[in-house]
Amino acid sequence: MADSKPVVWAEEQDQPETIINEDGSRTIISYRINDDGKKVKITQRIKDIIVKETVNKNVALRKKWGKYGAEKGSAPGPDYRTTQIGESVTLRLSPDWKRAEQEAEEEKKSEIAKQKTYQGIKCRTCGGNHYTAKCPFKDTLGSADSAGAADEPEGAAPTDPAVSSAAPGKYIPVHLRGKAGGLATEAEKRERDDSTTLRVTQLNENVNEQMLRYELFANFGPLIRANIVRNRETGRSKGVAYVQFATEEAAERALERLNGKGYHSLILHLEWSKPKK
Amino acid sequence: MRPLLLKGHERSLTQVKYNREGDLIFTVAKDKEASIWFSFNGERLGTFIGHGGTIWSIDVDKETFLSATGSADFTAKLWRVETGETVFTFPLDTPVRRVEFNVANDKLLTVTDEVMGFKGSITIFKLNYDDIYNQDTTPVLVVHTKEGFERVTVAGWSYLDKYIIAGHRDGTISKIDAQTGELIDSVKVHDGLVTDLQFSEDRTYFITSSKDKISKILDVDTLKVLKVYETDAPLNSAAITPVKNFVVLGGGQEARDVTTTSANQGKFEARFFHKIFEDEIGRVKGHFGPLNYIAVHPKGTSYASGGEDGYVRVHEFEKSYYDFKYDVEKTAEATANSKLNASDDEE
Repeated sequence: MADSKPVVWAEEQDQPETIINEDGSRTIISYRINDDGKKVKITQRIKDIIVKETVNKNVALRKKWGKYGAEKGSAPGPDYRTTQIGESVTLRLSPDWKRAEQEAEEEKKSEIAKQKTYQGIKCRTCGGNHYTAKCPFKDTLGSADSAGAADEPEGAAPTDPAVSSAAPGKYIPVHLRGKAGGLATEAEKRERDDSTTLRVTQLNENVNEQMLRYELFANFGPLIRANIVRNRETGRSKGVAYVQFATEEAAERALERLNGKGYHSLILHLEWSKPKK
Repeated sequence: MRPLLLKGHERSLTQVKYNREGDLIFTVAKDKEASIWFSFNGERLGTFIGHGGTIWSIDVDKETFLSATGSADFTAKLWRVETGETVFTFPLDTPVRRVEFNVANDKLLTVTDEVMGFKGSITIFKLNYDDIYNQDTTPVLVVHTKEGFERVTVAGWSYLDKYIIAGHRDGTISKIDAQTGELIDSVKVHDGLVTDLQFSEDRTYFITSSKDKISKILDVDTLKVLKVYETDAPLNSAAITPVKNFVVLGGGQEARDVTTTSANQGKFEARFFHKIFEDEIGRVKGHFGPLNYIAVHPKGTSYASGGEDGYVRVHEFEKSYYDFKYDVEKTAEATANSKLNASDDEE
């Protein structure tokens, strides 16, 4: 093959070496550069086995027929436009086929239902996977609202069950529920002073709020707020945190000292959460 | 098993057939061309071009030399399978719903529709194999639909070409003498239109399928119902498998109701029943619409189904298909074997 055609220089070194063994098999040795940049030797041993199949004489003749009609002049072999291989289907023959099928289907359904309950229902009182109204700890843990407020990690706004129950008929959007009085938080949010807040990025995933408060920023005075941004479903940290200091000076000091420093094998990046004017 | 998907038609399939050796598959649809495929790899050999309307039916002779098609353009045509050329055109009064070569390979049966004041009929032409381009257009036999009978939807030749078995619109099956055209017997076995009628290998019994969701096996000689297979969807086709004692039924929700139902409610599955025990033993999913026709490889190694969705799916049977046996079959075999061994020992 290579004798008759001139070999392009680029292909020359790719020509595999072929050795014909005594038993009629071939050994092909080729070299290749792998992903690590190392040259690897590939040895393939190939044995040709010819399987002879006897077919009806007429069938063999028909295989040689030329194509006609819409297929006139098309190349031999199946055309992917008209012939495809479908997805695998199963045919399980069994006299009680119907029952087996039903069982399989029910299993599937129950599995889906299970998944749904795990994802969808979460008790606001105890966090279990049942409806809040059916919580067995309802009486011992108290009402969902107050419990939720007590759990509030921020703790910035004083929790007052009286506030939330003050306007019982009032609609509170879902994302504000559990906080002490939706509107109050809204107003507070607007007024919140972000001038002492820093944004910390490139934080190790394993770092939690406690570590921020008592380890990383311990030297810069007590933190008013330390929040790590987490994935809502998995609860994994996104490597971003917001920390609010008591004073702007403390925040500035932290920014200067810690920006670019390593913490838990990652180099921290600190910046003002709001661009300074 | 991974089926071969043959997409050679733009509209719903009307009939699918294997030739005698099973190496070619012939498919026709509501578009105007018939397609011929190699069954082992799904390669299309070619198409028959020439009809001016829906092709309702196709058949191929025993030597895979000529093929016949029946179309809604009021003609039945003969084609040379090797070259795809039109050999002859038989003009008829109404659309042709079925064509079938007889066992002796010298006659062609056509079933014509009942439209425009014409009563449907079974028309039989004599075939001239010495000069295939010159056929006699005067039929050797015309069997008009008798008084009191509804139109014939399907028909076929029994063993030795002795009778013609016809299925009617009202579910009646009738037996007609193939020489004289005389009505011998008729029974009403279905409550709906008979959609398909396929014979066993030796043509001594046949299977019918009907819109009444039931499929039945009848004996040719006595027209007695031998087996009944009940399903939950209107049936369009039924086939008997050689080698294994199964039948394959296909159908599904009516084409006009398809858009209002989801695919898994439409019952668009090929259903496998045990021929003897009449139990449903399995299903094959795949089509997105009703199955319009089912054909089984003459050696029982695969089956092809043509659907309303325009696809032909060819399924090669797996080992588990051949291995499947009822417990009673297994025990019967085991006892037979042990008896054989015992008698050997005595000798």
